[in-house]
Amino acid sequence: MTIRVEDDPVAEPSPVSGGLDAPPDHAAVAWRHRHLLDVDVLTETDLDLVMRTTDAMREVLTRPIAKVPALRGKQVTILFYEASTRTRVSFEVAAKNLSADVVNIAAATSSVSKGESLVDTVRTVEALGAQMLVMRHSVSGAPYLAAEIFGGSVLNGGDGWHAHPTQALLDLYTMRERLPGGSLAGRKVAILGDVLHSRVARSNIWTLTAAGADLWLCGPATLLRGFEAWAARGAAGRRFHVTASVDEALRDADVVMALRIQRERMSAGLLPSLREYAARYGLTRDRLAMARPGALVMHPGPMNEGVEIAPDVAAGAQSVITDQVTNGVAVRMALLYLLAGTHAEDSA
Amino acid sequence: MTVSGGDGTGPDLEISRAWLVDPASGREGPGEIVVEDGILEAVTWIEGDDALDVTADGIVIAPGFVDLHAHLREPGNEDAETVATGLAAAAHGGFTTICAMPNTTPALDEPGVLAGIRAAAAASGSAVELLAIGAVTAGREGDRLSALGELADVGVIGFSDDGAPVRSAAILRSALAYAGALGLPVIDHPEDATQTEGAEANEGFVATVLGLRGWPVAAEAAAVARDLAILADVVRDVPGARLHLTHVSTAAALDLIRAAKSAGLPVTCDVTPHHLALTDEWLAGARRWSWDATGDPWADESITAGPYSPALRVNPPLRSTEDAAACLAALADGTADAIATDHAPHTEVDKAVEFGLAANGISGLETALGVVLAAVDAGQLPLARAIEALTTGPATVLGGRARRNGSVGLVEGAPADLVVFDRSASWTVTPETLRSRGKNTPLLGRALAGPVLLTIAAGRIAWEAPDA
Repeated sequence: MTIRVEDDPVAEPSPVSGGLDAPPDHAAVAWRHRHLLDVDVLTETDLDLVMRTTDAMREVLTRPIAKVPALRGKQVTILFYEASTRTRVSFEVAAKNLSADVVNIAAATSSVSKGESLVDTVRTVEALGAQMLVMRHSVSGAPYLAAEIFGGSVLNGGDGWHAHPTQALLDLYTMRERLPGGSLAGRKVAILGDVLHSRVARSNIWTLTAAGADLWLCGPATLLRGFEAWAARGAAGRRFHVTASVDEALRDADVVMALRIQRERMSAGLLPSLREYAARYGLTRDRLAMARPGALVMHPGPMNEGVEIAPDVAAGAQSVITDQVTNGVAVRMALLYLLAGTHAEDSA
Repeated sequence: MTVSGGDGTGPDLEISRAWLVDPASGREGPGEIVVEDGILEAVTWIEGDDALDVTADGIVIAPGFVDLHAHLREPGNEDAETVATGLAAAAHGGFTTICAMPNTTPALDEPGVLAGIRAAAAASGSAVELLAIGAVTAGREGDRLSALGELADVGVIGFSDDGAPVRSAAILRSALAYAGALGLPVIDHPEDATQTEGAEANEGFVATVLGLRGWPVAAEAAAVARDLAILADVVRDVPGARLHLTHVSTAAALDLIRAAKSAGLPVTCDVTPHHLALTDEWLAGARRWSWDATGDPWADESITAGPYSPALRVNPPLRSTEDAAACLAALADGTADAIATDHAPHTEVDKAVEFGLAANGISGLETALGVVLAAVDAGQLPLARAIEALTTGPATVLGGRARRNGSVGLVEGAPADLVVFDRSASWTVTPETLRSRGKNTPLLGRALAGPVLLTIAAGRIAWEAPDA
């Protein structure tokens, strides 16, 4: 498999040239996925199509009334088994901008208690009319189980430590938008923090290596466990780097992305203290100075300011964190739109 | 092959021009057998022109298989399996003796529970011999010894807290000494549980990509090292002490066992068919045997199924290609004494859930032979050694307690106890073809070589293929 995102997508015809009144004709836009469960299956063409569709959605967001009828009459159910505000709201805004009917369900993961199983819940949601299911779950792989039984399209809104496809795609979009030249080829991207527990890091490994970035994952050795083995093989053979040295990761980086660190890591015996973490790995102004001048600062949110990222860095001139939030809506609109056009011959 | 009911209690049977494998005598080759009234009257090895065209690739006759490790779920979880369905599955898989693990509800930690299990076996009418393993600790809770002596008196063949390790080193030490004095082995499930809390998949590349909590190789190796150190100490005072390590899955642990054996420690071990032939690649959706695997299904586009199949959730987890190769090598060099199924049937309710919430275990009695034959077909294991690891190997671990007639082999004049399978044919694993209530196998839909045509246990037909 060779994946490479083209640097100049503008030459292609717009994926929404038929207007945003209805879902796309897949024969015309060459989108072949019924679900979006992970980014590892996305080809160069797929990624390019998502980026171009996001461009179109960005344009919609600039209109006085940021709403198009593309998903009118479609029911999008947002089923979140994990607490989340920003991702859930981002999906909800995206679906509403496309005129979909949105149903929100906050569910509790019942692992021990014999509560309603995921299979039952998905069948119920479908019986209630859901045609698209946006799902977040604390167990890695859970959306694959949902996709096996759901008659419509499943969009993974984050599963366990495994994947957060829309986050990786909005990160890719934001980097391409903000980096001079609009390309990631050869650009050094450092992802800093709790890599072990991060679905954001895992999904970014696939998309950023596909885009040709020089990717570095960095954090305390306890939070990089297993990633040396992955780096040795690469993502579909595409190599990246793993280091516990923050200096090595940040030196001359074009993009620095800090990941959220959670208090639970201390009780699990993975870190001595948040204070020590902040001192050794926190993204401060001094550390950022090791990166290239004007390097982009990113964070998938929610942030612990003063721990993994200093407040003045998060709010500083190099920060594109609010762009990530805005682009998140556009990327999610693009994916809902592309998945809505699925027809019978589409693969998973 | 002709089978008839016979005039007396047992079947009459003649099979000519088959490939006989008899590990007890160390012999394999063309031959024929005659069974009259359930007694193996004649075993004839044929040579010369008569033997032409008789190869190991067709009908094979071997002693009935012995399984050291099966979960029959009765009492307590009869939705998953009963003694009757478990014995039926065993017969379908070619097993004529199986050892039931004590992790039932209640646990087999005192003789009363065993009486119920034996009554269920008798009521099933199955010819398969059911042997029982007693719990090491009361309720398998790890705190105090179960009724080891009373259980020995009623005929358990060893002690295990399987499903969990014997957590306390002090309790393991006591159990090895006490059971050793009774002449019985302690069968440990080697797992350092402090390293596997919440673990989902073999720690390494595949688990990292899939975001599954890592289950380190060191958790097995550390437990094996602990057990061996204790055994070495105990055996000085109690020469009869014996340790059997079950479902060993890692190269690191097998290396420790190999060294301990060459130092003369009384330790034996088994490996499972799934740890020989399947790897953690299957979690990503690859479906190739371990000997064909590269370890990176994303790089060579060998993903043909969906990821995270709960049927693959098992303890110990499916390991790397290197570990699977080490299990095969350990079988070949004798470090592993036996192939054991770790047959672990589960209901759909316990398996049709998120991977991380699914019950551990694979239903394995009926697919063991087919999986092992896949290894044989691929040149990974000689047929004779594979059969040995399913017959005399486990029988030796049991110290002669397998078989009502006391011997495992094609023995003239004794009640027939044998399996007949056809390596030139195949069968497809489906919920319907499995006799076990546990349909939880990652091999559903797969064709396996060597359907079992006939299983005769202690002179009675236990399984006969409908179209044989």
